[in-house]
Amino acid sequence: MGPLSSFGLLAPGALWLFAIAPALIVAYLARERPRQATVSSVIALRALHVMRGRRFGGWPRLSWTFFLELAALALAALAAASPYVLRRGAPLAIVLDNSAAMQAAAPAGKSRFAIAAAALDAALAQAGAAGAVTVYLTAPRPHETGGPLDGAAAARKVIAQARPVDAPDDPAALAALLGQLNADRHLGRIIYAGYRPIAAPAPARFTYLGVGDPIPNYAIGRFTLSRETFGSAALHASVVVANFSPAAATLKVALVGDGKPVGTAQALTAAGAVATLDFPRLPPAAVYRAALTPADGFMLDNAAYATGAAVKAIAILFVSPTPADGASLGGIPGIAVVTRTPDQYTPRDLAACDLAIFEYAAPKELPAVNALLVMPPPDDPVFRLHAAPAARVAIANWPAIDPLTDGVNFRLLNIRSGEYFGEHPWLDAVVGGAGGGLLLSGARGGHRYVAAGFNPFPYLGRGNLPMSILTLNLLGYLAGFGAHAGGYRTGEAWIVPAGVTRIITPAGDRVAVTAGAAYTAAAQGVYRLAGAAGAPAPRAVNLSDLAVSDLQNAPPIAVAPSARPAPSGEAAVRHPLAPWLLAAMLGLIVLESWFVYRRRRPAPA
Amino acid sequence: MLGLPEEFTAEFIARLEQLRIKTRREYAGVGKGSHLSPRRGSSLEFSDFRHYAEGDDFRYIDWGLYGRTDKLYIKLFKEEEDLLTYIFIDASASMGFPEGDRKFSSAIALALALAYIALAAGDRVMIRVLGGRGATPSPGLVYGRHRIVELGRRLAGIQPGGGLDLAAALARELISIRRAGKVFLISDFLLMPNAAERALGLFNAANMDVTAVQVLGGGELDGQGLNGDVEAVDAETGECVRLSMGPRERARYRESLLRLAREIQAFCFRNGLHYARYTTDRNFQEFFLRAAAEFGLAH
Repeated sequence: MGPLSSFGLLAPGALWLFAIAPALIVAYLARERPRQATVSSVIALRALHVMRGRRFGGWPRLSWTFFLELAALALAALAAASPYVLRRGAPLAIVLDNSAAMQAAAPAGKSRFAIAAAALDAALAQAGAAGAVTVYLTAPRPHETGGPLDGAAAARKVIAQARPVDAPDDPAALAALLGQLNADRHLGRIIYAGYRPIAAPAPARFTYLGVGDPIPNYAIGRFTLSRETFGSAALHASVVVANFSPAAATLKVALVGDGKPVGTAQALTAAGAVATLDFPRLPPAAVYRAALTPADGFMLDNAAYATGAAVKAIAILFVSPTPADGASLGGIPGIAVVTRTPDQYTPRDLAACDLAIFEYAAPKELPAVNALLVMPPPDDPVFRLHAAPAARVAIANWPAIDPLTDGVNFRLLNIRSGEYFGEHPWLDAVVGGAGGGLLLSGARGGHRYVAAGFNPFPYLGRGNLPMSILTLNLLGYLAGFGAHAGGYRTGEAWIVPAGVTRIITPAGDRVAVTAGAAYTAAAQGVYRLAGAAGAPAPRAVNLSDLAVSDLQNAPPIAVAPSARPAPSGEAAVRHPLAPWLLAAMLGLIVLESWFVYRRRRPAPA
Repeated sequence: MLGLPEEFTAEFIARLEQLRIKTRREYAGVGKGSHLSPRRGSSLEFSDFRHYAEGDDFRYIDWGLYGRTDKLYIKLFKEEEDLLTYIFIDASASMGFPEGDRKFSSAIALALALAYIALAAGDRVMIRVLGGRGATPSPGLVYGRHRIVELGRRLAGIQPGGGLDLAAALARELISIRRAGKVFLISDFLLMPNAAERALGLFNAANMDVTAVQVLGGGELDGQGLNGDVEAVDAETGECVRLSMGPRERARYRESLLRLAREIQAFCFRNGLHYARYTTDRNFQEFFLRAAAEFGLAH
């Protein structure tokens, strides 16, 4: 605490509030007027001599509560005038890195965060009672904790309570914060404790407490699940591992699904190299956990989570005068079909689907999703396909290697009627016959389009295996395999899905949330999103940041130099007194209320 | 029962009939009764001797005395007459507070119980209400137990109210009383001790046998309604007393009220008056029968 310099009022006009004292007196007297009670006789009461609060001059009654309320009023009026005291001292800013990388253990065994906190504590103890201290943490986003603190002791308390999070830091945001602090000429000193060094030349007021010694580390960078093939119920896991150590190492990943081992894989990984481990045909499970061995000093990235529900279903919009053809696709795992007749169809229906199929129909504008056109009508204004109907079509040529024709035995494909397409400006024939193209494929505006001169629907599955394989190829080409790529990362904000009212964190805490609001998951693990109905939906959140896991190479932070001259090192800090005055006023009111309550409380019978 | 207070059960009335009013003096009545009268009469109670005169009944000559003195003396006996019983009820406003205590209705019940005892014993009873509202002219001395119903109906219509100078009111009543007898004065006696003593002393000086019956409310003794900061208003005088009542003050108030009652009691004992105090939180029947001696009643 710096020496007291001066006292002042920010709003001296509020002192006019003292003029309401007479009103208070009137209100007080009105309130203090005792209630009347008719008694049989006052003789015995007269003899009691318990009359209290005899009034000075008869009016008003000057009891201690009266002066108490006057004091409360005076405090309120004074607080409204916003009084302050100026203290001279050297304000201090402390930036403590609490990002995921600070959980890594230093060679001595203690975590980087513990070392940084201890170093800060020692620095503050050495600094003694300076001016105001502001403490910033860096993750998930750089932020101030608890406002300006009054002295080193309060700052040490805040630092002792701080904990590292699983979220990575944001180097750009951190550099911006440090630059902003450097530009603040009121600050006497800035202490930064973290694993990222400050790029030279460091500003004069900066003190860097480094804990970024290079540490070898093995990490899981990415853990994704996808369907084995399009339409398959089995899942395929892919785990990216990295070796951030000076020597090659065999990295082994064990995969557990709902608590049961479901697979292991390993790879000899060179120093600084990255490898991908695949886990095919995984049995279904709600939650998968990947664990990496050998263990190292940074355990956070040695585990990763994924949820089976994260494998997204393909939403197909099927527009056809015979919607039953589209309904037959509903039996394929991982597919959700919405059917529309051509009359019902509007382009807005495309918003909720991954691909669209137009059977005997065509859109009036180019669809904004990948689309399959099955025997479109001749007056199609968008694709302008020239089709020649044929009573019996025969497939004559097809490419050997193509995602559309892969695995299809065209010789067994029995297509009775159809139409041949003529030349098209941007759709190329993939499968052709004697009369022209039977299957055209092309891309436009970033979307894939396929036109078929025959109808592969309804989907019969094993009942018509060649056609079913061709259908799955078509859908797979247009929709991909339905993998949900990266999952969710610590420190990232998500939008709370509709219907979700609370989130159960990996630690078991229940957080009430509002659908549509942003939620930042700072801890790695499986979160459960619960709503009014249904079982909570799991959602995996991982660090998934190999840049953080590379503990041997931490890029330095460049602090923007300040254009202003260096401060004197001592600045006047204004400390508002209004909160203290208001607290004192409330204390007085509570005290009076308590006494009045005790006095008026009926005596026990 | 028959318009009488609810306390008058058949069993209670039967118990009342076993009681009779006992006086410390002998009073001349207006008819035959069961109380010894200062008049000479034909009871078994010896009174005096006098010289035989011609025409006296031979049966009353004391032959033993004649044998010793050789003179004829006639034995005289006391007369047994009825007792004139006067019951005065304080109906001032103070008897109506605290409202929940039912002081006035208790006073009426006491008066009727005393009146029934007198009527059942063949005595004559006059009940007078001092102050109050709704009082009808009193029928004067009534005779016969059946008149208790009429008395009960008359008293039921009276409400306490207004101020009362007890001594002055009793002095006015005393003027209309021609024969001395038993007097019951039922009041809360919430007045200065000297005023109460003046009122009671009036009848004492008129050679009446007086019983003072003080009726206090149970809630009144506990300071009911007097909590915290309160302005107590006297029901009769309108005098205001501001006070802050807490547990300690309530205890002191109760003690003060009881001290006033004890002063009246002491006055009564000093002057040969009966004194009984009834607090309305007690069982009426049980109190009345237990406190018969204090009322000046005998089995």
